[in-house]
Amino acid sequence: MDHAAAQLEKQHVHDVYESTAPYFSDLQSKAWPRVRQFLQEQKPGSLIADIGCGTGKYLKVNSQVHTLGCDYCAPLVEIARSRGCEVMVCDNLNLPFRDQGFDAIISIGVIHHFSTKQRRIRAIKEMARVLAPGGQLMIYVWAMEQKNRHFEKQDVLVPWNKALCSQPFSESGQLGRKQPCGRPERGHPYHPPCSACPCSVCFEGRCNSKRSHSVDCDSVLAGTCCANISKEGEEENGFYNTLGKSFRSWFSSRSLDESTLRKQIEKVRPLKSTESWANSTISIQPSRHSSFDLGHPETLSAGEQNLDEEVFVEPSQGPLEWLRAPTTCKQLNGDHPGVIRRNGDGNFLGGTNAQESCVDEDNFEESTASGSKSWRRISAADSTDSNPGDAISVEEQPNVLDSRAFMRYYHVFREGELCGLLKESVSELHILSSGNDHGNWCVIAEKRESCD
Amino acid sequence: MRLLTHNLLSSHVRGVGPRGFPPRLQATEVRINPVEFNPGFIVRMIPKVEWAALLEAAGNLHLIEVPKEPIQGYEHNEEFLRKMHHVLLEVEVLEGTLQCPESGRVFPLSRGIPNMQLRDEETET
Repeated sequence: MDHAAAQLEKQHVHDVYESTAPYFSDLQSKAWPRVRQFLQEQKPGSLIADIGCGTGKYLKVNSQVHTLGCDYCAPLVEIARSRGCEVMVCDNLNLPFRDQGFDAIISIGVIHHFSTKQRRIRAIKEMARVLAPGGQLMIYVWAMEQKNRHFEKQDVLVPWNKALCSQPFSESGQLGRKQPCGRPERGHPYHPPCSACPCSVCFEGRCNSKRSHSVDCDSVLAGTCCANISKEGEEENGFYNTLGKSFRSWFSSRSLDESTLRKQIEKVRPLKSTESWANSTISIQPSRHSSFDLGHPETLSAGEQNLDEEVFVEPSQGPLEWLRAPTTCKQLNGDHPGVIRRNGDGNFLGGTNAQESCVDEDNFEESTASGSKSWRRISAADSTDSNPGDAISVEEQPNVLDSRAFMRYYHVFREGELCGLLKESVSELHILSSGNDHGNWCVIAEKRESCD
Repeated sequence: MRLLTHNLLSSHVRGVGPRGFPPRLQATEVRINPVEFNPGFIVRMIPKVEWAALLEAAGNLHLIEVPKEPIQGYEHNEEFLRKMHHVLLEVEVLEGTLQCPESGRVFPLSRGIPNMQLRDEETET
């Protein structure tokens, strides 16, 4: 069971981050204000760990503390290091730290990548172990309950839209300079997106007139590297301008026949019935029922994969026409976890429900209601229309954005689930507060004094 | 990797438990990065340091003499604090290795980044 879980995570978490790390160069990630606040509230001289730090967006929030960033993905860690952060490569399940060394720990968008309950518990317990008594741990995980999207299941594979990321740094020399960043510490061209929501911040800023959390938007605006589009009322092409000249030309050089594209979308949507996950409770996220309308400045809702739907919009949409699916730089092959076993602990690998869903965009951050409603769903088919018999022939069409490529696994959390997990299985932690922050369940817990 | 970070590291090869601390540090490339001296920061950091591990690591790097233990009244001893600031924050190991003192397992340290990942067979419980 654990081997299958590890295999799944390797294929749909680690390999994806590793492959997509080079593309994390331009687009700023969202730094959650409450996380920043948590870090800034730590006492000067504190030792802090960011477990699953990605490209390190939280590592320099507080200059009065020593923050160590750790991630499983070496390429992401390299990016963080290049920004001057103190970082290392390690495994959340086996943290290479002595007990009780850290005064505070953050785990932002990490635990939801573990595919079994035991592994999620193990990851949290490891963090509790290396936390000093009285120290605090903040955990953010993606919520199943979202205002503007519907997760059919808790265990999902969410496609990655490579289109939303810039070219690898080596090819995109000028991209970084085109998007000056408000935040002084981010002078480096690498403006890595959050590991789970690479581009949400770009859109976030545009919606600020509609958002209830204006304070959040301010901080996002300050931080985003897509400064052009982060201003309210920015002209609708702002996002595309921000992508950068070389990025746009990269796409237009691979323009595709639209009818071919549509055929591919129809094909890739349902899982092959012979694939192991077709029999599991994992679902591939269906297309969002949302439309993209260039006429509305606050159109673009958060989420890296919204652009996926843009790709297949009719040419009459104008500026979108050039934005076609690029050649996938790496396709995940059809390997699957070797064995699917039944398991009663809530692990999806034991489920047997067939899944027929469409691919969809990734949206770690909940978008505003107005933003997402303006999206137009491109294809008529949704999960009810999909034909389970269709095969995903991902190898045959090299010019199509392989919707199965870079799909990331998530276990999205139900309300109360994270707290329940801590109470039931991690008694060394005492929950101080919990809530929902932009579509994420978050918890702040404290290491009990009399432990271990 | 700074020595303050090293002071937190422990090998987690299966079975070694607390004997995995501290990893033995060898460096082939070290760099000194000037860092602004913040005495308040250092004062607060001192109690958190595992001193023996720091002594051993500083010794392996052939650094300036680190006091055997925090000086009495160190909070007001600027010379001491500056020395500790240098050792903990300004010395960066760019290339080297970290060795588990119990199992001998060697972890690489490259481009300033220690990699403490274990292979599956080293971790399975």
